This record gives sequence, C-alpha cells and structure tokens, in this order.
Amino acid sequence: MALPAQVLAVTAANIRSIPQRLGNSLVIVVGVAGVVAVLILVLTMFVDFRATIQGDGQPDRAIILPRGATTEYEGSLSRETVAAVMNAPGIEHDQHAQPIGSAEVILVAPVARKVDNSDVNVTLRGVGGQYFIMRPELKLVSGRMFRPGNQELLAGASAGAQFAGLDIGNQVRLQDGDWTVVGTFGGGNGSRDSEVIADALTVMSAYKLDAFNTMGVMLESPGAIASLREALSRDPTLQVDVRAEPEYLATASAGVNRMLQLVAYSVGSIMALGALFAALNSMTSAVAARTVEIATLRAIGFSPSAVAVSVLTEALLLALLGAVLGVAVAYLAFNGTTISTLGGAVWDSQLVYSLSITRSVTATAILLACTLGLLGGVYPAIRAARSSIADALHES
Amino acid sequence: MRFFPLLWAGLWRRPTRSVLTALCIVTAFLLLGLLEGVNAGFAKAIAEAHRDLLVTRTRVRGGAPMPIAALATIQSIPGVREVTQRAYFMGTYGDPLLKNTVAALATDPAVFFQLRPGLVVSKESLRAMRENRSGMLATPALLQWFGWKVGDAVTLHSQILKTDGSQDWTFSIVGTCDSVKNPANAYFGIINYSYLDEYRVENRGTAESFYERIADPAKAVATAAAIDSIFANSSHETRTQSDQERAQFQAKQLGDVQFFTNAIMGAVLFTLAFLTGNTLRQSIHERIPEFAVLKAVGYSDARVLSLAYAEALLLYLPPAALGLMLARLAAPLAKEDIGTIIVSPAVAMSGLACAALLAFAGAALPASRLSRMSIVDALRRR
Repeated sequence: MALPAQVLAVTAANIRSIPQRLGNSLVIVVGVAGVVAVLILVLTMFVDFRATIQGDGQPDRAIILPRGATTEYEGSLSRETVAAVMNAPGIEHDQHAQPIGSAEVILVAPVARKVDNSDVNVTLRGVGGQYFIMRPELKLVSGRMFRPGNQELLAGASAGAQFAGLDIGNQVRLQDGDWTVVGTFGGGNGSRDSEVIADALTVMSAYKLDAFNTMGVMLESPGAIASLREALSRDPTLQVDVRAEPEYLATASAGVNRMLQLVAYSVGSIMALGALFAALNSMTSAVAARTVEIATLRAIGFSPSAVAVSVLTEALLLALLGAVLGVAVAYLAFNGTTISTLGGAVWDSQLVYSLSITRSVTATAILLACTLGLLGGVYPAIRAARSSIADALHES
Repeated sequence: MRFFPLLWAGLWRRPTRSVLTALCIVTAFLLLGLLEGVNAGFAKAIAEAHRDLLVTRTRVRGGAPMPIAALATIQSIPGVREVTQRAYFMGTYGDPLLKNTVAALATDPAVFFQLRPGLVVSKESLRAMRENRSGMLATPALLQWFGWKVGDAVTLHSQILKTDGSQDWTFSIVGTCDSVKNPANAYFGIINYSYLDEYRVENRGTAESFYERIADPAKAVATAAAIDSIFANSSHETRTQSDQERAQFQAKQLGDVQFFTNAIMGAVLFTLAFLTGNTLRQSIHERIPEFAVLKAVGYSDARVLSLAYAEALLLYLPPAALGLMLARLAAPLAKEDIGTIIVSPAVAMSGLACAALLAFAGAALPASRLSRMSIVDALRRR
C-alpha cells in the first residue's frame, strides 16, 4: 500500500477505537477547548480595546496639543492659541468659509455603573460648535442638540447603556449645579460615544476655566498636515504639537493597552503550556494503550511513518475538535457583551466597548490549537514508530 | 509515613503520565496564583490604606479651587488633628519637547509628610525646605531623569503666570523625598505652597485639596461630612474621602476586568479538574487488582480508600506548591504594567486548599467504585 493509503487506514482504525478510550481522548479536546476559550476572551478584550481607542482615527483630522503634552487632558491651550491655529493654512473650511475645528476642554463626570452601582467617571468633553461637522461619523440619535449657554449635555450611546442617569431628562451633578441630558449621540467605531459632551464655552464658564485642553481640526487632505505643522512652528508664541489623529490615538491609553496586552499574552501562553502537557499526556496514553495494536500493524507491513503520521493526525483532529468547542463556548459566553474599564480620555475615566470576536482572533486561537495538537502528538508518534515490534508483541 | 513508599511507587508506575499531569498542575497553579495575586493586591491596598487620613477635593473634578481660609475652619472641627493644603504646579524643563514635564505639589511640607505615610523624607530635607522658601524636594527618579542633583537651581517654564509677568519659575533643589511603595515610578517634586501662592497671579489664596488626620478612624464618615458641609452650596462643593474609601474607588475603576479574571480562573479550574481527574481515574482503575490484593491481605476498606486519596494528594500538592512558588517569583515582573500582585501566604493557602479539593474530587469517583467492588471480582480482572 502507498503511504497515504496506509495513513488513511491506520487513522481510520484509530478514530474508530476512540469510543473505547473516550475519557483519555476527551482530555485533549477539553484541554484545548479551555485554552481556546480563554485565549479568545483575553485576546478579544485586548484587540477590541485597541480597536475602540483607535477606531475612528482619520488621517485627514489632526489633534493639536500643547507642546510636551502626551494626553488630551493635561495641558492648556489659550484662546489666542486656538484662534491662531484655526487661521493657519491646511485646515478645511465649511460652506460658510469657516475653518472646521473644535477646541475642547476635558473633564470628568461622576456616574454609577448599572451593573453594580459602583462610582466611576466618564469623560466630559466640552466641544466646539463644529464637533459633529468635524466628526461626520457621529450622529445625534435622539433628543436635540445642547444649546450653548444652557447647562445641557449629550450622552454617548455606549455611556448611556452602561451607566445610570444618562437618559434624556436626567440631571447630572456637575460644577454650578445640575446639568440636563437633552439628547444622545452615537455612531463610529471608536471611544467617542463612551463620553458625554457639552458646549465648551458653557463648561468653561461654569468651571471658571480660561483655557482649552485640546483641539481637533479637519485638514484639507492628509498631506496638508505638513503645511499646518510648518506654519505653526514658525510662530514662536505657539507652543503646540500637531499630530495626525491616527498617530495620536496610537499613543493614547498606552498604559491600559499594555496591561491588557501583557495579560492576554501571559495568560494565553501559560494556558497553552498547560494544554501542551495535557495533549502530550493524552497522546502518550493513547499510544501506550495500543502498543500491541501498533506492533501488529507494523508486523503486517504498515510502515513506521504511516503509524507516526496517523498518531499526529489523530492528535490534530482531537485538537481541532477542542478548538471548535472552545470557539463555540467563547461565542455563547461573551460575544457581544459590553464591558467598561479604564481607558477614557482622562486617566481615570471609563471606556465602554463591546466584545466582538474577530475572525483573526478566532484564526489565531485555532492555529494555536493545531500547534498544540501537533506538538503534543510528535513525541508519542515518534515513540510509536520506533517501538520494537518484538518487544511490544512480547508484552502481551 | 509507613505508607509513603507505597504511594510513591504508585505515582511512578507510569512516570510519563505522572510527570505530565504534575506539569499541568504546576502551570495551572502558576496562573491561578498570579490571578488570585492580582485580587489580593487590590484587597491589600484597600486594607492597608489609612482610615484616619482624609482628603478633601472639589466634588466635581476640575471645579473651582477651595479658598485657603477654609483651612482654619477645618482645623476647628472636633476630631481633626492636623490639616494642610495642596496646590498643583506644572512646568517644563529646558526645551519643551516630549516628556520633560515636571509636576510638583505645593504644600506645607512639615505637615504634609506626616499626613502621607506613603512618602518618606529626611529631617534634613524638611529643615532645608523650611529655611529656603523657593526650595524643592525631588524624588531620586526625577533627579535621575533630568540629571539634576541636590544643590542645583532649576528653572521651569509654566503656564502659571508670575507677578513679575514671566512664566519662568526657579527652584533650588534642597533635598529628596521618595515614594515607599513605588520609587521607580515616582516622578514629582514638593515645593512650598507659600512661595507659589505669593508669586502666582491667578488662583491666589486657593488650594485644590486639603489633607486631614483625624483622632478617631471610626468617625471618618461623620468628620468627612462635617468638612463637606463647610463648602456646601458654594461654587466649590467638596467631597472628602478617607484613603481607604479612595483605594476602594480606584480598584472599582478597573471595572469588568476583574470580573474576567474570575471567569478565567473558573475556566482554568474546570479544565484542570477534567484533565487531572482523568489521570486519577486511569491510575486507580489500572490498579484495581493491586488494591484488591491489599484488601485480601487484610487492609480495611477505609485504609485502602485513604491510600487512594493520599496518592491523589501526593500528585496534586507538591506541583501546586511549586506553581504557586513560581507565581510568587514571577509576580514582581508585572509590577509596572499591572500593579502589585501579591502571592501572599493566604493566597498560597487558598491555592493549596483548592488543590486538595481537586484531588479529593478527582479521586472520589474511582475510589467509590473501588470500595464497592468485591475482592473476588477485582482480582478476577487481572
């Protein structure tokens, strides 16, 4: 018989005998399923967090921060600086020939999580009148816009879903008394709808602030950032850094991002190591239980490599079964779950995101499962192929 | 102890299987130890935070700072021992490029350090601050970052306008202070509030927070309410919290991440129970005839059962202990990114208890079959 035919025959025989050693075979399946489910969970938390942070970054938008500031909330931009930046070249204009940009103040508003009623902060962003023009992905979902001069808020859809007291008509206690939620907004794939927004100047007068923290502008084209940067660097009174939005967002929330990454990779690799031992254990037992059978096959002319490949194939198939089980568990248990954690625009404000398992995460997990199956099968396969026929048969 | 060689021989009957199972247990408990250590780290931070130290901040963050005159009013509240104010100073050193921001707390250092047990300072440094109004205490990390040394005069450019119209503030570094817990990440300075307040143009006579020590920790809530009532219905309403409340608040900010740590621990335990349960089942099942021989030579049912359970414990406990030990060694590696992970004796004990429980649960099913089997049937299987 040719090798492929031999492999097929031995593998089929192996698989037919699985019911007789079910417990042992299930060890691989359950072990791999556990790793795959946990790995998908931790990777999804990390990948979706990063995707949400960087979600709506557009190369034709620029973020302007005071020089040296690495986050949106820590520095201040005076009204003069904001005016000078708005008049600089490279910025897109609307139909009324006004440059499109939004100078913003970043604060936090205390809210309670719906799940456990614990106190957390959401980002309160005071925005300019052109906020929605600059961010066309965001839309008013219900209610109406806030009116400048009134203490009114718009709540982001994700924030409203996760935290109590952000429905239309609710009052939020901020500086200078209660602010009323008059509408909700949503859209985009990013972190913006984890926030509540209000009119920047109204917020500044209530908080007695005389400077903005950050500003965003819409560029004529992604390439226009060079001329904007050049123009701003020529004016020595302007101490600002200009960054394209995707570039800025890549550095935002680096701390939580790194933490989730570390958790994902360390939890994933420790679990993978454990599952590898389990797979090895399971396949070694499987081979040991069939010493006589394997020796008989070899005695009647099956080649050692056919035996080895069939053991590997069995390990791979069991691991794949485990992977399918793990993926199913992961999907059922938490796909679509909305969670909130640190990661908002301010160091202690919340970012809300929903866990959606991506294809690449699933593929990574399945790939790992296959690797585990193969690695777990290699040593037992070699052992099976190398065993001395005479000794094995003698044992019985 | 007499039975130890018997148990040991049982484990080494199939060395590959026992070693691989043990390695599974080691890795599982390494992970469990680390995850439980994260929870314990939070719990310890909360438990260790002082209940007699209060902090008064504006209720709404970013709100108008509080008038310094309130200091005397707070001091007069019964139960308040010491109180000091803090304002915030931020500036940049040298060329205002990335990462050269210097943050300093403006306060009354003599009182401040008494109220912040997490910070250490020498008597000489405190005296130097008293004698030099424009003095600054810097953490060793900050000194190293900029290559400063004690005795240097440093000029920081700040958004805070000075009365002479400039924005350049010069401080002389007169000593050092440091964070007890996290010196590697402590980048800040301490300056005299009186100096900052005398020369700044805006926000004069205000503070962003007050720190208090109270006589009776049990009255923390009542005292905090009394302090907050001073500022009620003003443009700068406050919220006073004990350090302990604050630590609790900070732990909760991580939100759902903690829920998922528990979910992962559950998944690990379930998988481990299944994997090792299978090993125990096989191991006992294979040796039913041997156990029958023991019974035949006069061992009681209870003794045979306890041998089976003891063997399970011997399989679980040493690898679990090794895993927890590895977790203890690995914990400091994650300090910078995740925070304090504490694999304390309590964490280790609960881990070992967990291992014992798994051992008993895994051995229970095959062992019960063992005890129900008659000697004759068992021997016949040979």
